[in-house]
Amino acid sequence: MRDQADRLLGLALVALAALVVWHALSLEVTFAADPVGPKAFPIAVALAMGGCGVLLLFRQGLIWEKAERILPGLAAVAAMAGYALLLGPLGFILATAALCLVIALAFSASPLQAAATAVVTAPALWALLDPVLDLPLPKGPLGF
Amino acid sequence: MDAIAALMGGFAVALTPTNLALAFLGCLIGTAIGVLPGIGPMNAIALLLPFCFALKLPAESALILLAAVYYGSGYGGRITAILLNMPGEPAAAITTLDGHPLAKQGRGAAALAVSGIGSFVGATLSVVLMTFLSVPLARIAVGFSPADYVALIVFALSLLGAVAPGNAAKAWAAGCFGILLALVGIDSGTGVERLTFGSIELLGGVDFTVLAIGLFAIGEVLLLLERQMRASAASLGHGAHLSFRELVACIPAMFRATGIGFVVGVLPGAGASVAAALSYTTEKRIADKQGTFGKGDLRGVASPETADNAAQIGNLVPMLSLGIPGSGTTAVLLGALLMYSITPGPLLFTQRPEVAWGLIASMYVGNVMLLVLNLPLVGIFARLLTVPPWVLYPGVIALSFAGVYAVSNSPFDLLLATGFGVLGYVLRKLDVPLVPIILGFVLGRLLEDNLRRALSLSDGDVMALFASVPSLLLWTCTLAALVFPFLRRRA
Repeated sequence: MRDQADRLLGLALVALAALVVWHALSLEVTFAADPVGPKAFPIAVALAMGGCGVLLLFRQGLIWEKAERILPGLAAVAAMAGYALLLGPLGFILATAALCLVIALAFSASPLQAAATAVVTAPALWALLDPVLDLPLPKGPLGF
Repeated sequence: MDAIAALMGGFAVALTPTNLALAFLGCLIGTAIGVLPGIGPMNAIALLLPFCFALKLPAESALILLAAVYYGSGYGGRITAILLNMPGEPAAAITTLDGHPLAKQGRGAAALAVSGIGSFVGATLSVVLMTFLSVPLARIAVGFSPADYVALIVFALSLLGAVAPGNAAKAWAAGCFGILLALVGIDSGTGVERLTFGSIELLGGVDFTVLAIGLFAIGEVLLLLERQMRASAASLGHGAHLSFRELVACIPAMFRATGIGFVVGVLPGAGASVAAALSYTTEKRIADKQGTFGKGDLRGVASPETADNAAQIGNLVPMLSLGIPGSGTTAVLLGALLMYSITPGPLLFTQRPEVAWGLIASMYVGNVMLLVLNLPLVGIFARLLTVPPWVLYPGVIALSFAGVYAVSNSPFDLLLATGFGVLGYVLRKLDVPLVPIILGFVLGRLLEDNLRRALSLSDGDVMALFASVPSLLLWTCTLAALVFPFLRRRA
């Protein structure tokens, strides 16, 4: 599979283009002020994109370079998604500290180093943004 | 002499205490992120943009800050290139060729000094050229009809494939993808929902900051995560400092590099990396009589660094005068202006002179600041390289998310930014350039609006797109840009 990466990309582009064309054709336009309407342009762009995808199918292309480490990246993405969901309930400082902790660990910090990074970064960022720059951030159950 | 008077007006904007402070801040941040490998000007501007917006900075102040980050990064990249043998920002890659050998010979300080001066010369001379060329260039475009704009935008996008170092099809596909992303949301002409797939959050479209932060800041960090970084910095060295004679010997190289850099920068599609490489090879052909290039020749450091900074400024010219960005970072700057509901282009210089001329004037000031910052303080900036990644990147990510949240207050946008981060990571691995996505995104709505306007004027007659002289010229160039990659592959 890894040596077919470009062809997979080509297939994905063709599929995405087909999806866009199907979607644009299914649009119901009741009123259009101009002769083009909202359909033609996305279809044209999607066809161009699909064409580029087809070009990619012809050649083998590059070989997907294997990651040296996979777990840190997965952990980071999970932490980011979790941050999006928990920012409201936990409040900015707690959620950001948790995020920083995971990212620091992913960058091979020792637990102590990661904890220190989290404990310093989150309040510092809050202090900069909320009181100094006056951008309101979500408050958690503890009031910060 | 109009330009001089207008420039004076610009200085009145640029020299207010707030704007001076913002320019200084931008120069500091720019140099710092230029030094740090993995965080380029694009990431930094994407990071700062939501804060400018949330803090309600006036447009000219925001642009002065963001542009200072942009040209400041050109000063920082060389420090990493010379001391670490890896580019702090992409365009500094060529600087490693002679810069790192010099550092190993103990002449790091001399290499840093000459490249700092070169950066200043290239940037400042280019700002002078920009002062006098922007308005004439804008005048050409004042008469452009919607059909001409369609041709111009298509040309700018097609060039991306022609000049991209990798696979042209990938660059074009990325450009199309960017355009499609721009179309997500309610169509302004008819009120129809497009490409939202039922999501209420997407009705308003994809936010520019979400896309830029996701693709650049988050995607880059994810890529860094899978590689263990091992690098050790060379010290500044104790060898002889830059002598006056050595500096004089580099001056012809700096002038040539400024010329090459500025011209390459003004052309859409080609960025500072191309300019630095072209300038270095040209200089080598002209001046390398003893075969010292590549082994630690000061001119081999001065040339690409001067060209790099000259091209960065050159990139801004089509962005301001035509509204067509020539590189990824200027596309992000254009996106910033669009967020302020300012459309760059021929009318910018007359309708919003405080933005256009304030920016140009601030660049004179900013480059002096950068020279002063960079010559004596280079050691402090170099110490940034010793900050461990586990301190740096958690901060980058936290700041990214805080920025996204500051603009939209929406958890959905945080998830979307994460998604774009993963996409950015995958596309980087597949060697798909990300710059066309940003360019397509920024230009997409503009392209569609102009296309629909042109065809409304002609009652749907497609031939109207090819009716004027500028449009025919641009379509011909587009055709050339589309065919060129296929010829190149065979050659």
